[in-house]
Amino acid sequence: MSRRGLSAGGRAQEGGDQGDIDLTPMLDVVFIMLIFFIVASTFVKEPGVDLTKSAADTTAPCLQGTIIFAVDSMGKIHYNKEKIPLDHAYRLAEAAKSETPKARFVIQADQEAPTLVVSELYDVVKPLMEGTLCYSTDFRE
Amino acid sequence: MRKRNRQAEADEAQIDLTPMLDVVFIMLIFFIVVATFLKEAGLDTNRPDSNQNPPETDATSIVVTITGDDQIWMENRRIDIRAVRANIARLLASDPEQGFSVKTEAGASNKTLAAVVDQAREAGINQVLWPSEKKQ
Repeated sequence: MSRRGLSAGGRAQEGGDQGDIDLTPMLDVVFIMLIFFIVASTFVKEPGVDLTKSAADTTAPCLQGTIIFAVDSMGKIHYNKEKIPLDHAYRLAEAAKSETPKARFVIQADQEAPTLVVSELYDVVKPLMEGTLCYSTDFRE
Repeated sequence: MRKRNRQAEADEAQIDLTPMLDVVFIMLIFFIVVATFLKEAGLDTNRPDSNQNPPETDATSIVVTITGDDQIWMENRRIDIRAVRANIARLLASDPEQGFSVKTEAGASNKTLAAVVDQAREAGINQVLWPSEKKQ
């Protein structure tokens, strides 16, 4: 404020350079946006497969559910846009968990997918989980 | 050159903020692009530890079995998916502390599993247990 007044006064006396704008408020806004986006961004590896998830009335948000595995209708497991064999799931899950220790696991399953695959995948990642598994569903309209 | 000289005369403390602004804007744009406002939603399910007793020895728990051909069995009879909620609610009314577990057999589909878990949660079950599927 004071600086602006000073410089503006100085300019007026000088009589030139009227196009100079005070950038401070814009900088404030930009910094606040920057900090917001830094805090808000969670680096999620999406499975990258299109599923028809089951619908459920009691669907609730999965807090911190950022480690996402998907099981497609053929029973193939997807993680981070790749098809993975069941044996690799533990290693990938462990790596993801050590990166973000607070993250919880989510399994997205196609409604036609066999429960056997989901169950096996759950068994594999179970030792890494503290709480419950989020079994991803769509809210029924 | 001329401008810098004039500025130096007028206000020596003023710093050129333009490079910092460039960096800040690039960071801002990077984080906006990267930010995924992911809202994953679903049903919470739990799994009993493998070293625990299997739930069939626990007399006071509601067990729903989904067979390989997507039939739903409860208390030794086959029930319709629409009746699951009423049945669970009835059993829960007699003992609200009861546990609930859903067993799946090889061949069952996730549609049925999700439907049963959903119905159970609607009936007032807090914790859904889904024991490991036994391999055949």
